[in-house]
Amino acid sequence: MSGHPIREEDFDLLALGALEGEDKRAIESHIASCPECARKLGQAHGRLGLLALSAPRVEASPGVKERLLRQLHASAEGRAYTPARVEPESTARSSGRWWAAVFAPAAAALALASVFLWIENDRLQEQARRLHNTLAIQQREIGELRQIADVIQAHDTVSVTLKPMTGPAQGTAKVLYNSGMGKLVYDGWIAPAPADRSYQLWLVPMSGKPVSAGVFNPETSDSIAWLSSVPQGLAVKVFAITLEPAGGMPAPTGPMVLMGPAS
Amino acid sequence: MPSDAALVERLVQRDETALAALYDRYSGMLFSLLHRILRDAQAAEEILQDIFYQLWRTATHFDPGRGSLPGWLTVIARNRAISRLRQRRPELSDDLAENSVALPFNLESAVAQLELLGRVKGALESLPKEQRVALELAYFEGLTHSEIASRTGDPLGTVKTRLRSAVETLKRRLQP
Repeated sequence: MSGHPIREEDFDLLALGALEGEDKRAIESHIASCPECARKLGQAHGRLGLLALSAPRVEASPGVKERLLRQLHASAEGRAYTPARVEPESTARSSGRWWAAVFAPAAAALALASVFLWIENDRLQEQARRLHNTLAIQQREIGELRQIADVIQAHDTVSVTLKPMTGPAQGTAKVLYNSGMGKLVYDGWIAPAPADRSYQLWLVPMSGKPVSAGVFNPETSDSIAWLSSVPQGLAVKVFAITLEPAGGMPAPTGPMVLMGPAS
Repeated sequence: MPSDAALVERLVQRDETALAALYDRYSGMLFSLLHRILRDAQAAEEILQDIFYQLWRTATHFDPGRGSLPGWLTVIARNRAISRLRQRRPELSDDLAENSVALPFNLESAVAQLELLGRVKGALESLPKEQRVALELAYFEGLTHSEIASRTGDPLGTVKTRLRSAVETLKRRLQP
């Protein structure tokens, strides 16, 4: 391709990864030498990246952030400690003076003690970090419990019982919903979903599309409770749980498992 | 609330709290994307951690004047997840300096992300079902035109037309 791509959508199709073969090679080779088209490709990447927002909201475990921060500390400590441990050894080896023989054992003992203290210090730092992380997790959990308590105690919270829709009973659940706070507490039990499926709780408003309140995968049939944030002020008609592909969907597609009318 | 550019500046000064703030700001969006593509929480968490560690290491390469940080993070997350899903080499370089992803929206607050989510969902819902399916197969599964045709059983030309119409509509509806 000697000139610019004929159609503007080619940038989006390239960013999407849909182009292939000669079409792809030609536009890529042009973009490599054309700053204006490279800029348009950057815009297409940004535009298509917005599709990421349509993925059902799932939160990573708090452990990821903790591991990330540990990784940062480890790399920083690696850089700080490496030269300090290497230098004394090379100095001792290069010295041929008589006093080296006298001081060498003391230096070796000192080096060993330093290494021991360094390891001990590292262990204590790691322990302190773990305790700090545990505390942070507990504080988060306490914060969530407080929010659950707020929802339960609020005078305008509605309580809705969700019952099985079809076939043998698969579970039962209660939803405590506060429209003004935009908070919902799920409390119930439901049989574990098949391996490639997840349950998803939906708020079906009086008007408009169903709103996802969370995707969950109970490992057992024991009762579980969790808190979810949803858009504030929704006038909900029905609460429903559907069985969806693992990870959930932007809109309900699967069979309804439990359902309860809001009033 | 500090801007992304201010936080990146603090990253360059090796301020861990800036990385933690950026993680809190964007990890939900990125993890949801990774999870949607991979359907595997553990693999998604590994990639999420890698991306933020790379941001820490290469923050000096980032020029806020050339591109958007959440734009770059999203492109890299999708690229890595699709590579793992399809077991192939990543198509794009992960270097912050080589990818100037332009995003004419501010995603720095959860509210801004939610508002934009409404527009994106509206744009997707306005597409005919066949176009939306083709677009999602390309974006979330990394399928090419012919792979989508093979997956859906539709003629290749039909798939090309659908995707072209879908990206046209998306572009029109997501104008800033």
